[in-house]
Amino acid sequence: MAEKKTYVADIERALYDIRDGDNAAYKSESGLTEAVIRDISGRKQEPDWMLNFRLQSLAIYNSLQLPAWGPDISSLDMDRIVTYVQPDARLTGKWSEVPEDIKGTFDRLGIPEAEQKSLGGVGAQYDSEVVYHSIQEELVQQGVVYTDMETALREHEAVVREYFMSLVPPKDHKFAALHGAVWSGGSFVHVPAGVQVEIPLQSYFRLNAAGAGQFEHTLIILEPGASLHFIEGCSAPKYNVTNLHAGCVELFVKEGARLRYSTIENWSRNMMNLNTKRALVEKDGLIEWVSGSFGSQVSCLYPCSVLHGENARCEFTGVTFASRGQNLDTGATVIHAAPHTSANINTRTISKAGGAATYRSAVKVTKQAPYAKCSVNCESLMLDDESRSDTLPVMDVEGAEADIGHEAKIGRISDEAIFYLTSRGIEENEARAMIVRGFVEPIAKELPLEYAVEMNNLVSLELEGTMG
Amino acid sequence: MNDLLNKEIFSEIPLRTWGWLGVNEAPVPEGLAGVNPGRQEITVAAGQAEELVLAEREGGALELAICLEPGAKLHLVQAELAPVTAGVSSRLQIRAAAGAKFSYTSVLAGGASVAAELTVELAGQDSEADVWAFYLGDAGRRLDLNYIIRQSGRDTRANMQVRGALTGGAEKIFRGTLDFLQGAKGSVGRENEEVLLLSEDVRNRSVPLMLSHEDDVDGHHGVSVGRMDEARLFYLMSRGLDLSEAQRLIVAAAANPVLDRIPGQALGQEIYAYLQGRLAHA
Repeated sequence: MAEKKTYVADIERALYDIRDGDNAAYKSESGLTEAVIRDISGRKQEPDWMLNFRLQSLAIYNSLQLPAWGPDISSLDMDRIVTYVQPDARLTGKWSEVPEDIKGTFDRLGIPEAEQKSLGGVGAQYDSEVVYHSIQEELVQQGVVYTDMETALREHEAVVREYFMSLVPPKDHKFAALHGAVWSGGSFVHVPAGVQVEIPLQSYFRLNAAGAGQFEHTLIILEPGASLHFIEGCSAPKYNVTNLHAGCVELFVKEGARLRYSTIENWSRNMMNLNTKRALVEKDGLIEWVSGSFGSQVSCLYPCSVLHGENARCEFTGVTFASRGQNLDTGATVIHAAPHTSANINTRTISKAGGAATYRSAVKVTKQAPYAKCSVNCESLMLDDESRSDTLPVMDVEGAEADIGHEAKIGRISDEAIFYLTSRGIEENEARAMIVRGFVEPIAKELPLEYAVEMNNLVSLELEGTMG
Repeated sequence: MNDLLNKEIFSEIPLRTWGWLGVNEAPVPEGLAGVNPGRQEITVAAGQAEELVLAEREGGALELAICLEPGAKLHLVQAELAPVTAGVSSRLQIRAAAGAKFSYTSVLAGGASVAAELTVELAGQDSEADVWAFYLGDAGRRLDLNYIIRQSGRDTRANMQVRGALTGGAEKIFRGTLDFLQGAKGSVGRENEEVLLLSEDVRNRSVPLMLSHEDDVDGHHGVSVGRMDEARLFYLMSRGLDLSEAQRLIVAAAANPVLDRIPGQALGQEIYAYLQGRLAHA
């Protein structure tokens, strides 16, 4: 009798794959040239220092090679990528003023509904520009600033100039330089000292244009004692040409502040997602990353936490699901640069149908970080032998006073676990479903509810037969 | 072709990562550039059980290829006890056929600059690798290890257990890879490294890779890096040992699971005395 296999569904993409028509008001020439950059900067009416920053970034981009590690991205042809797509909409704070087609897209994705129910503020970016931004009046009165980056550059220029790409400098790597050259859109958040933002802020990034790139910049500054939960969502419809996402996230968590940064990335499978995220955490501060990677053709995403002040902490929780045609290279980096810093990294990866999932990480303990503690746990579940699952962690410890532990497991659903559960009267199919749900449960419980539901959908099992 | 030591890179990690970590390649140890180690080949005949002891007291380069025929067993013991100024490299390549078992016991205690590569191919069904190593890094020693076990046969078993202690200004990189190839159904792999840090000036890099192109496997790796257990130190010092003596005892305890596998009393005692001597001057 032929062995039946348990079917683990892909994430349901129909919702994300609905394309709008080509409704751009303006598109830059494809490719990366000085003229394109001057054009972007001119349209945004930027100060000279930002134009010069972009041009210096372009020079750095041209001087750097593609990475010698990670997934193959040689098919990325920058000459064919349109780096700036201005939607036919102006930034507004009223949902009713967003153009119908764009509004329809965000309506389908549930953005306004979530805003009404559970968010303190929402930003919605469509292609290269933010088209909608709102924040609750109560937060404004507390001094919280939540706006798009272009507005921040106009209204808070000194702050932007001090922090912008200071944590992720353009020379960091080729795609950081690309970002510095062509960045557009994104979010700026400033939370004053001691202010606790009780309900999350959310930015949603939607790339509609075929063959385009999205390069939004997120800059969040939490002054001492402040706290915030920021949620980032990303999606795009699928095209048969390569799209590129090279965003940049810079998070400044000052003394005693707490920031939770949650991301659900569900780009289409023609997307190269080469994103850079970094947090600088000062004394007694806490950064919590919750990261779900489900989409993209190729992803390279390793949020980095620089624990710069004494007792600074990092919690990283991540899940990656790689299916057919996907090569998702994800993980985390922690730099312990002060005494008594600590980090917990906890990840799960699932690979199926020929997908490749790689967990890549680095834990660096400098000599300035005695009594650093770090615990890493990564588990990988493979659902067939077509797929790949690789684990590549590095621990680099200087000094004698560190305490670093790493643990990783790889495998499939064990027969012993099935036997145990079925011996307790649970149907085999339900036993398998329980095990898969249990596998991702430590991650799911950290996600915002609507995203937890979305993730549970992807482990919806067609419950028959065996997995293997 | 035995010209590999003419290149700058002695050994490479199976899957590259970020360059800034400096773990992708192990350089040729100082003083060994241009040395031709001369590849030696050994075959253990089907069904035979052999033991081979390599005690290195001079330094230099070694390259050895071993073929284990079906059902063959080999216990390879390698004791690195070279002078503190010597460069040392060793490249071991083992291929195990069905039912063969490769046991490896290594103590890396000597030499100024050490590069060691071990590659085990578990090609045959039910083949097995049992790898145990202990290293001591002291003074300004540099240890650069790259151990790889590839499991391509069905029902293979890999066990990689590495213990080490670093003191003085030592630097060490240990790369340990378990690689499950497609078709290695029913295979099991275990890898564990425990590192004791004894000085403010040491640098430890641990790189435990686990690669898999097969779902029907059970792989597990763990790394523990840290200072000595303070309670244990306190206990020993409360019994009259000074800090140095207590540290030597704790390092010896960490080395014991490896030293216990050394055949013959004489070599075991020589290694123990060598380790204690190095630690006494650390």
